[in-house]
Amino acid sequence: MSEPPSYPQIEPTTFDLIAAGTGLGECIVAAAASASGKTVLHLDTNPFYGSHYSSLSVPELTSFLISNSTPSSPPSSTSTTTDSLDYSIVNLTTQPVYSDVEISCFYPELLEENLRKFNLDLCGPRVLFCADKLIDLMLKSGASHYVEFKSIDASFVGDGNGKLWTVPDSRAAIFKDKSLTLMEKNQLMRFFKLVQGHLVATVAAGSSGDDGNGNDEKEGKAKISDEDLERPFVEYLSNMRLPPKIRSIILYAIAMADNDQDDMGVCQNLLKTKDGIDRLSLYQSSVGRFTNASGALIYPVYGQGELPQAFSRRSAVKGCIYVLRMPVTALLMEKDSGRYKGVRLASGQDIFSQKLVLDPSLTLASPSASPSDLLHESFNFLSTRDVKGKVARGICITRNSLKPDMSNLLVVYPPRTLYPEQVTSIRALQISGNLAVCPLGMFVLYLSALCDDAIQGKRLLNAAMNVLLTFPDSVNSESSSTVQSENTEEKPTVIWSGLYIQEMSTVDIGMASILFQGQFDSINFAPMPDGNLNYNDISDAAVKLFQEMYPNEEYFPETTPPENSEDDIGLSLET
Amino acid sequence: MAAPPARARADYDYLIKLLLIGDSGVGKSCLLLRFSDGSFTTSFITTIGIDFKIRTIELDGKRIKLQIWDTAGQERFRTITTAYYRGAMGILLVYDVTDESSFNNIRNWIRNIEQHASDNVNKILVGNKADMDESKRAVPTSKGQALADEYGIKFFETSAKTNLNVEEVFFSIARDIKQRVSETDSRAEPQTIKINQPDPTANGGQGAQKSACCGS
Repeated sequence: MSEPPSYPQIEPTTFDLIAAGTGLGECIVAAAASASGKTVLHLDTNPFYGSHYSSLSVPELTSFLISNSTPSSPPSSTSTTTDSLDYSIVNLTTQPVYSDVEISCFYPELLEENLRKFNLDLCGPRVLFCADKLIDLMLKSGASHYVEFKSIDASFVGDGNGKLWTVPDSRAAIFKDKSLTLMEKNQLMRFFKLVQGHLVATVAAGSSGDDGNGNDEKEGKAKISDEDLERPFVEYLSNMRLPPKIRSIILYAIAMADNDQDDMGVCQNLLKTKDGIDRLSLYQSSVGRFTNASGALIYPVYGQGELPQAFSRRSAVKGCIYVLRMPVTALLMEKDSGRYKGVRLASGQDIFSQKLVLDPSLTLASPSASPSDLLHESFNFLSTRDVKGKVARGICITRNSLKPDMSNLLVVYPPRTLYPEQVTSIRALQISGNLAVCPLGMFVLYLSALCDDAIQGKRLLNAAMNVLLTFPDSVNSESSSTVQSENTEEKPTVIWSGLYIQEMSTVDIGMASILFQGQFDSINFAPMPDGNLNYNDISDAAVKLFQEMYPNEEYFPETTPPENSEDDIGLSLET
Repeated sequence: MAAPPARARADYDYLIKLLLIGDSGVGKSCLLLRFSDGSFTTSFITTIGIDFKIRTIELDGKRIKLQIWDTAGQERFRTITTAYYRGAMGILLVYDVTDESSFNNIRNWIRNIEQHASDNVNKILVGNKADMDESKRAVPTSKGQALADEYGIKFFETSAKTNLNVEEVFFSIARDIKQRVSETDSRAEPQTIKINQPDPTANGGQGAQKSACCGS
């Protein structure tokens, strides 16, 4: 609703935890804290949930990207704010997280009546593996009640000619595959069996306490040697005599590696065999986990923005108070010690808490009149960000599917498939109207690639978009109708597109707190969306954050009171 | 042959998701608890801990399972998640007959519903706390009726405290939804995946299916 900001008074004024920003990390932490009995106030500047993890309509998305691509000027009122008697006021500002935002609308008449019927993911392309940690977390917390999913129909590896090759990701798929030779099928089958054997042996060794080597070797349940596990995965795959094509499928379309694994120069990004096997194992255990999920990957109905909302509803049920459209303008620090005490809201109200979790795009503005040199020094430290690189993201709305017989699908372009300088994988995820992210009959294609700068990032996205899609601009509409010779399948035409570069950096608060004697112990930053296809690292970061804040609390105690367990809550709605 | 898979969901014919919406303190949770548990309490101030409640009723020989969702307090600062509205088939718009602003806000809530709920969702207007002394009444019955007429929806005045019209409200909206669903239920949307405590049963089920196939 669009009432002018007549900010409500919040009661009470003291909480165990304040969370500013409703990104997935903040929502998980708030839900966990609420579940363990903490009083929590959860705020967001925006009128919607999810922050950088939300799903938005076309106009909302555009304005969010634009307003978060310029540094916010510190709120004008605060410059005149005089410190209260007991506290120093430290202003907060918003760091620009997005840059090089490029929005193009080719057929406004097709969008106009539907503008609000879109739920476009800000952090796409993203899916969940059925065996993801986030799924377990949703089950454990009860957030699973609020989200439904559908399967991604299939995964493909794309080539420079626009061809899509099915990823044979399970035994059944290998059998059915028509593009592999019999020899390749055997090689792949043997390799999957070996991984399976290793996993079985690892589990067995874990439960029986022996190292699992040797005994089971005859049955094909041998563990992969520790030496091999530490080696680069690509080397291990080569030693297994897997041909380059199969290697590429395993590395980039199943293990979802981002960087070129054959480029030994960038060794810090080389996937170890151990990690590669873990990712294969995640993939394999995802297939068949849920009876009506057809593959390894699922996507939430109504978009990724449902996930933070599910955790926030969980928090609310446990008593957490939610206030949206409520910016936090400043931190209140104790004058003598410089310790965190509370926050000042845009309404002018001061709210106090033991702990604080901040949206990753918030940062401390260096105070003009520094309360103390010590404090001043630490602010300088906090404003130097730990640069983690960038991710280029693209969203294209189309009226046709990439594959006429499929709705929801993933396409991976391994490094160097589209052009020689393509240093990272490009992933493209098509989601259809049957997942309620757009009107029925339309499709949304999400793209992403890790990059060092905007030029590189845009080039990566454009390369994939040009292979997959048709842009009205680039085509002379009169002559093009006759020139569709090489592609039998017509490429979908783009109706609307949005490209942007997202920072993945976060404040290194840990280092700052070591240096400055725990002044900032109570302040934590939630994670920014990363460049991965799933949420595993983000949910790990949220778990870690909670455990650091509340080392003695259990993370979502098993004894979640089954408030509705008198009846079966697990039924699908038959709408 | 067909019996085993059907057995799991054989305890009802229709499953209907209902939502309660309205300002804080109008008695949404009280209505819900009265209807689902037959209880009434004035002790809680704001909603903590009620997620949703379930009650199965019978209409025209059909068992209808009502899954009724509460706002979990997220209406207080107008921060109801858009996710709350997903899949709702009916919405009870509740105001307090002794609180005029809660009545005036109904229009805002309807605007919210139009934005986030599906277009064909059934709505019903409920003026709660009708047991209160007439001297405290701020919204006359005629005004409530006029608003309901304007939107073309049904209207009840209720009291969760005295159990006035509570059954009637829920039965009325359930009947309308059942009618609508039975008339239009021809589309075969692919089933969605709910991630409810799956592993052992899911695998077991699959295994059983397979062996049955092989046996035949």
